[in-house]
Amino acid sequence: MTATTTAPPSPAVTTHGPRASWTAVFALAAFEGRRLLCRVPVLVAFAVYLVWTVWRTHGAYDGHPALQDVDRATQGPPVLVGLAVLLGVHQAVLRSRRYDTDRHLSVLVVQPWRRTAAHLLSVVPVALLVAVCVGAQFAWQALKPTAVGHGSPAELLVGPLSVLLFGAFGVLLGRLLPVPLAAPLLIVSLLLFSVFASGPPGAAGWSRWLVPSVGENSFATLPSDLIGRPAAWHALYLAGLALSVALAALLFSGGARLWSVRAGAAAAVALTLVGAVGQSRGVPEETAEARVRATVAPEKTQRCVARDATVYCAFPEWEPRTGEWAAVVDDVRSLAGGGAEKRPLTVRQRIEARHGLDGDAALAASPRPGEVTVGTSWGGNRTPEFAVAVAVVLVTGREEAAGAMCDGRIVTVMWTALAGRPDPVTDLRRVRLDDSATGGAVVLSQTETLQMTAAHTEVLRALLDLPRDEAAARVKGNWAELTAPEVTTRRVAQVLGLGAPEGEDECQ
Amino acid sequence: MPVTGATAGGVPVAELVRAVARTVPWRALAAGGGLGLLIAAVPRLTGGDAGGWPALTALRAGALAFALGAAFWLDDPARHTTAVVPARRALRHGLRLALLAPVAALWWTAALLLVPRPLRPPAAGVTVEAATALALALTGAAFAVHRREAARPGQAVAGFLLVTAVLAPLLCPEDWALFVTPEDESWAVAHDRWTVLLGALLLAGALCLTEPARRYGRRGLRSPSGTSGPSRG
Repeated sequence: MTATTTAPPSPAVTTHGPRASWTAVFALAAFEGRRLLCRVPVLVAFAVYLVWTVWRTHGAYDGHPALQDVDRATQGPPVLVGLAVLLGVHQAVLRSRRYDTDRHLSVLVVQPWRRTAAHLLSVVPVALLVAVCVGAQFAWQALKPTAVGHGSPAELLVGPLSVLLFGAFGVLLGRLLPVPLAAPLLIVSLLLFSVFASGPPGAAGWSRWLVPSVGENSFATLPSDLIGRPAAWHALYLAGLALSVALAALLFSGGARLWSVRAGAAAAVALTLVGAVGQSRGVPEETAEARVRATVAPEKTQRCVARDATVYCAFPEWEPRTGEWAAVVDDVRSLAGGGAEKRPLTVRQRIEARHGLDGDAALAASPRPGEVTVGTSWGGNRTPEFAVAVAVVLVTGREEAAGAMCDGRIVTVMWTALAGRPDPVTDLRRVRLDDSATGGAVVLSQTETLQMTAAHTEVLRALLDLPRDEAAARVKGNWAELTAPEVTTRRVAQVLGLGAPEGEDECQ
Repeated sequence: MPVTGATAGGVPVAELVRAVARTVPWRALAAGGGLGLLIAAVPRLTGGDAGGWPALTALRAGALAFALGAAFWLDDPARHTTAVVPARRALRHGLRLALLAPVAALWWTAALLLVPRPLRPPAAGVTVEAATALALALTGAAFAVHRREAARPGQAVAGFLLVTAVLAPLLCPEDWALFVTPEDESWAVAHDRWTVLLGALLLAGALCLTEPARRYGRRGLRSPSGTSGPSRG
């Protein structure tokens, strides 16, 4: 009997203490993470995020995405999930206070700062889920055979990191202001702040980068090396900020006694500062020079390939797209006559990159003979616009001539551009500013606009109504007369054997 | 017990008012209202160079902050103990709402006056919007009390109100636009819609003020202390 009572107590209990409490932290984090994922605001936010993303991504970029735009498009919507996480995690931190179980928990081995750590870890599954969604959104576009360009991993990290940041804010708020109203009021303030902070665009370059998701004013697509966004610094800043807020929450819940938490907090603040300084240095000198070079002398960075009588010069990232340009050029050429179908052309990609993504700038028409401008986006309205630009150069020899042209040649230009398209009248609507198919209108293009009068439209529609081969024969047979400068619309109609137009024939 | 003042069905209203005024969550309302006033004052504080739209947004956000505070207005930790008193729930909630009404009116007047006159949106329209937000908060709370016998529905209702307020401008269909600017020609039509919403919410809120004829949910008696379940043995 004495042998049993004097047996030494098992040392296992004391040696396994710290590890056991970390196991408890992870168990608590797993439980809180599951609960957080099932909170109604988080579920609703996820549902809206997914539906919104699928709906927006489905027809985006006219089916021809540039990946340096796609990565930025993943940043905004996760903020919605982040706000829901802030609300949910704040309520979770207050739960033990709400049900008055703090006193029961305080007898356990899991100290308050460890419980805070568990709440912080509970945000990680949501952030991982957002990371999966962001990755899927990017992969969806990147796997399209028409995709060009390069995405930036740092831009893709912004979504998940902002969810982590909002979650950490929720935990910190729960420790600092343990009242249920605090989180909703903070969210209202944040939303209002974002409205007022986004007011003057481009003002104060460095402060613009302090918010999680930084948008741009321009929807232009630039080569990825000209974008000049400090994406990696910004990701570092966000990671540092999320870590700082998380460690501050630990400090405020009794972790201040631990030197590791204090050292970690100092390191996280330093990381944030490094990121903040790095992201506020503006556009690097070499990027600014590269932007000027790409705008003024694009031929220095472009490579050209010749196909038949056409040379296609594209920025390196767009080289896979020359085949699609060539298909349009060949269609337009096949409808031209009088030697114009063999006129040597240069299709050159041109951009206005000097302002970066700060604002959209109009691109001047190319002054060089036989040069057609093509932009960085493709598909949708861009394709018929390019066909019109090709037809202008085939008819007049220069892209610059489009702005000043206001005579019967416009009928030939528009017919040559559109007749080879699958649905010419729909494409006519797409290239016209007011989406009309009758009356006068402005025809858009990447550079100069064209002016169509009501008479031009009338003759063009009559020509498009003819069987294509018959119309092609009439156009090719009278090419010289149809493309003579200053030919009147009435004369064009007469030559083509169509009725004289009744609409007005004056350009504004 | 000597009863002084007005009575309603034998219930001493005047004394009840004093008791209710002590128990309602003034601090939550003060927090929401205070932040709301601060938000409404933002256009004035930023020098008034903001346009009409930021001022309107600030006013809407201020009204939302006040409504979030008011979402806690029906919180009553002692609800389960007062379920048996002769004063009906409609009377108890009515007293709470009667206490809230003058405060809300005063607060909204102050918020409107804080917006500089040239930026101020038409008062009638934006008041209907603010009243709808407040009605949504109170109806939500009344519904939670009616349906779930919740003692403190404020936190859940505030979350619901916030989610609705964030998502409504994002998801509102274009042919039923609600969040328009005064320059927009559909301002009047949009505020007819707001009025319809307000009416529907007030009706729903009035229906939720009563005590349910029968308890929903699980059959049998339930008590928060868990001691009055059916005996098992």
